[in-house]
Amino acid sequence: MYRSSFFSFVFFFDFRGKQTKRQNSELEIEKMNENSLDEEGAMDLLNQLEAILESDPLIDEVGFIHPSQFVMLSKECCESSDSSEDGAFRPRDTKFWNRDHKLGISTEVLLPLCKAAKSAFMDVMKQYKTHSSLSDNKHEDENIMFGSLSCLSFESEVMKHSRALLLLSCDFGTAWNSRKLVVSKKQQMSMFMDELLLSALVLSYSPKSEQAWSHRRWIIKMIAGKYSTLQDIIANESELVEKIAERSKMNYRAWNHRCWLVSYMTRGQMLHEIKKSRDWAGLHVADNSCFHYRRRLMLGILENSFCKQEGDNSSYDVENYQVVKEELDLNEVLIKRYIGREALWLHRRYLSLCLIRHLTTMHGTCCHSEQKTSMDNEINKFLDNESCLLNSCSTIQDMEFEDFKAQAMYSAIYFLWLIKQIPQFREIELQVKLKAGNLKSILHKTCPERSFLWDFLDLNGF
Amino acid sequence: MGELAVDKHVQYILSVEKRKDSFESVVMDHLRMNGAYWGLTTLDLLGKLDTVDADEVISWIMKCQHESGGFSGNIGHDPHILYTVSAVQVLALFNKLDVLDIDKVATYITGLQNEDGSFSGDIWGEVDTRFSYIAICCLSILRCLDRINVEKAVNYILSCKNLDGGFGCTPGGESHAGQIFCCVGALAITGSLHHVDKDLLGWWLCERQVKSGGLNGRPEKLPDVCYSWWVLTSLIMIDRVHWIDKEKLVKFILNCQDVENGGISDRPDDAVDVFHTYFGVAGLSLLEYPGLKAIDPAYALPVDVINRIFFSR
Repeated sequence: MYRSSFFSFVFFFDFRGKQTKRQNSELEIEKMNENSLDEEGAMDLLNQLEAILESDPLIDEVGFIHPSQFVMLSKECCESSDSSEDGAFRPRDTKFWNRDHKLGISTEVLLPLCKAAKSAFMDVMKQYKTHSSLSDNKHEDENIMFGSLSCLSFESEVMKHSRALLLLSCDFGTAWNSRKLVVSKKQQMSMFMDELLLSALVLSYSPKSEQAWSHRRWIIKMIAGKYSTLQDIIANESELVEKIAERSKMNYRAWNHRCWLVSYMTRGQMLHEIKKSRDWAGLHVADNSCFHYRRRLMLGILENSFCKQEGDNSSYDVENYQVVKEELDLNEVLIKRYIGREALWLHRRYLSLCLIRHLTTMHGTCCHSEQKTSMDNEINKFLDNESCLLNSCSTIQDMEFEDFKAQAMYSAIYFLWLIKQIPQFREIELQVKLKAGNLKSILHKTCPERSFLWDFLDLNGF
Repeated sequence: MGELAVDKHVQYILSVEKRKDSFESVVMDHLRMNGAYWGLTTLDLLGKLDTVDADEVISWIMKCQHESGGFSGNIGHDPHILYTVSAVQVLALFNKLDVLDIDKVATYITGLQNEDGSFSGDIWGEVDTRFSYIAICCLSILRCLDRINVEKAVNYILSCKNLDGGFGCTPGGESHAGQIFCCVGALAITGSLHHVDKDLLGWWLCERQVKSGGLNGRPEKLPDVCYSWWVLTSLIMIDRVHWIDKEKLVKFILNCQDVENGGISDRPDDAVDVFHTYFGVAGLSLLEYPGLKAIDPAYALPVDVINRIFFSR
């Protein structure tokens, strides 16, 4: 019944100043309520939260809920649930909401809870450090007799409090570090897996948390090859990024994580990932990060064939060409379907460069004149195609619509970019019959502020 | 829109320190060192650094130093290169670099360089070109850049260059204006800007300016005041700043001010914070807005501070 984006209707706080002034004043009101809680009450709240986390280790989503939404949630659940449901949900509880492995925390208690978690964590960390430095100085057998038990309990306290704290303050680096310290001592697979779960849980409410992404990479480096196959990890991580990217658009950190995975992929996996992310890209044409991911994969595929020793390079050549060509075709379809999207046009710059480089390096290594001619043909075909594309996109069908204007501008600048980057474009007679006039006049019409690009290319001869 | 509300912004920055009991300030507590840098540099650019008690700030900073030589974001937290640079920058603002055991700080930073020339942020090993910039900037301010392998550091940064001329976090990472600032800044400080195709990178950077005059950090994103810094500095360092409309950008930044209570936000009508207040004021300084001190685009410190470090000894 509940999808992964269960809490998406609840407003999430982004702590880097993204909330509006109105949300800010709502926070102020809540603050007044929070201040009425004393320290003891706050510790009690923390104990409650930690008990919930303990009792339901499979919680996969956390959200902060406004008290008014609490009422709504409770009603909804009372109506939909029958008596046989598990008892985790307590209708009278208005601070926490836990059901179907989803956890809601009332915004009313965020401040006292966060302060309590922080002080509990800092206290136990101090004790743990003192204890470890003491036991480092002792003999090993003494350690076993006196040290181990209390060491174990300190460690579990560190894990307990840091987990609660990270659910409230996701970029608290010292808390993430304390967990790395403990799990690296233990080297247990189950603990490493728990860390991946916690990181995913934090990402469910703060999908841009740099620390949570970085923690994943650290864990993966620890377990890669030891406990789990790289193949499975890559598949899991890819899936996670896609899930998060669906809710959190143009999320640099998430896609950066996926790009990081590419260096661990085999050629086969890269080809598979290109195929797998194709539909997603087509549905999210403004998400430059997804297109960058595809560029990263393509680069990996192209580079990978250069690393190969002699032998059957030629078979890769055909496959590589195919990959670039298919992406160009997809891009053209999308450009024509979604008018005026910057990310699509920037993607095309990259693809054109890739294709021309690919063709010219093959050109350089070809000894048979037959192949040479066919390469020349390919290049000419490409140049013709791009001229046609410019022709169809640079005609502003309706000045009323910004999208058409944007499309004309992007297409003209794309063309200028080709002229700068790819010498072949200069040579070709490009005063081609553009319906909308020449390149210069399109630029002047759609983006007078960038007309310097024209001057700097020194294209007055056109 | 009006003019820059200097007095209001000074008041706002001074008030941020006092407002310790909000949820926002509690969750930002771990990066107080960065906050100190943003707030105090802004005050200095506005010519009001003398409104804070320097001794108090410096003694707090020194309490954040770890035995490894690195600094943490606040007392009792773990050290990280991100906070170490802020600590060094704030000490430089106050002309108090002499309270540092420079060898110790340099040893911490040097120890974070990896075999391939990259830098980790701390002992846990996350690598990012941001950390390369910080290491280079910090060591240069401390005048001991020779402690690291500069050639390898530069080569690593160059390995993060993309076909669009921009730079990412690691090789193959997406171009992002923030990362570009770090990479171009590091190349500028090490005298390696000749490795950059300035026209190509300048092209990508000037396309960050959107209709409202504001700058975004990546294609298709909304404009944000903080990119006034990341994009502008990069354009200045590669000598292509005339490729954007500076007047429109000034207007955009001024529109993001809260003229009643002070502070600058990411976009008009959003809530202000000290991070965007700094980037707004620093951006205006780069745009030669009258009455502001000039800021150095590579070191992110007022030009007089940089001159004091490099020319007065």
